[in-house]
Amino acid sequence: MKTLDPVTLATPFFIATVILEIVLARFGKLKATYETSDTAVSLTMGLVSSIAGLLTAGLSFAAAMWIYQHRLFTIPMTAIWAWIAVFLLEDLTYYWFHRLSHERRFWWASHVNHHSSQHYNLSTALRQTWTGGVAGTWVLWLPLSFLGFPPAMVAIQKGISLVYQYWIHTEAIRRLPAPFEAVFNTPSHHRVHHARNPRYLDRNYAGILIVWDRMFGTFQPELDEEACRYGLVHNLGTFNILRVAFHEWIGIGQDIVRQPRHTLGWLFGPPGWSPDGSRDTSASLKARWAARQAAGAGRGPA
Amino acid sequence: MGALIQFAVSAVAVALMVGLAAWATRGRGAPPLDEATARHWLDDEFPGRPVDGLWLASDGKGAVAKSGDDALVLSRMGVGYAARKVAWAKAAGAGLEDGRVCIPLADIAAPKAVLAMSAWPPKEPAA
Repeated sequence: MKTLDPVTLATPFFIATVILEIVLARFGKLKATYETSDTAVSLTMGLVSSIAGLLTAGLSFAAAMWIYQHRLFTIPMTAIWAWIAVFLLEDLTYYWFHRLSHERRFWWASHVNHHSSQHYNLSTALRQTWTGGVAGTWVLWLPLSFLGFPPAMVAIQKGISLVYQYWIHTEAIRRLPAPFEAVFNTPSHHRVHHARNPRYLDRNYAGILIVWDRMFGTFQPELDEEACRYGLVHNLGTFNILRVAFHEWIGIGQDIVRQPRHTLGWLFGPPGWSPDGSRDTSASLKARWAARQAAGAGRGPA
Repeated sequence: MGALIQFAVSAVAVALMVGLAAWATRGRGAPPLDEATARHWLDDEFPGRPVDGLWLASDGKGAVAKSGDDALVLSRMGVGYAARKVAWAKAAGAGLEDGRVCIPLADIAAPKAVLAMSAWPPKEPAA
């Protein structure tokens, strides 16, 4: 069955806007930092991810079709209310998928490469995972088909969400009008999400609507006094694309081999978890940062 | 067949964009690391860690700091740096690779730091 694929349709737009951002930045017309090796890794990750995704797409679509055959309701693909509903429910699903992808190491292993650039530009948006299908997070969208949304409708909405999230990977747009910033995910909100500053870690998981972060307590506005520093807590020391794609999976494997009795913790603990607490998690980094802030505030002027 | 053509066209577009990025960033590499910048990076990467001694790579592409029994290693990664902490003894005993000091970092995401240090191991600061 041939369904509309928003990502394929948007690919010429992706290419044109990356070119535009590079050229305009070169002539100082907008803010963007590009670097050859980094750009090569981001774009190649994106290119190969389109192939990697196909490997599990059949399985996930077959699962959705099977679930759909046992659906609770039949939701018409032609009704406007149905598109509004799938927009909201898919976006809510995306929020939890994305939160899971940051807060549990097994899924972080798949998502980490999207955050591994020390730059934040439109090419970073295309630095997509090769192992998302293997990580199995597509299961999270199955309840939508169980409710009665046709799998093709869910797939289209997922594509729309992915295309929406492309343009927010830029430093060229500072802030949008306040009502828009209040409701939608924007470049400003998503810069925070990609930042490695302790204050900004594990915040702004939204896909299209930032309201989910506001509702579930994970919203953090971008602050003028704290510029975003991009990348990972421990940045990669290589542009080797295989290490970029698989380093966290290999790290999990090494940890399990070394300490098999902590397998569950190594797999499903938060990224940075270790049995003796000797590594950094987002929570420990945030706590140390908060303690330093408090100590600094307590000191006061001499 | 259509998918293959689409992939091939995308691959050509990727090559074009990477070439464009190379052109746009020509001559805009990171400046060599100086002591103030190295300390700033160390403070960002290892907040609160005292620096007992700091040695810069002669080409400005990295630095090693001694902090107690640890070595804090900065290694150029594009226009930024990768930072890792290893035991000082391990860093001080690092061997050479192509005439540069090769410090194993024991991390699949940053396997080693290869730094042009003029003398290694360094003379440690007096206690």
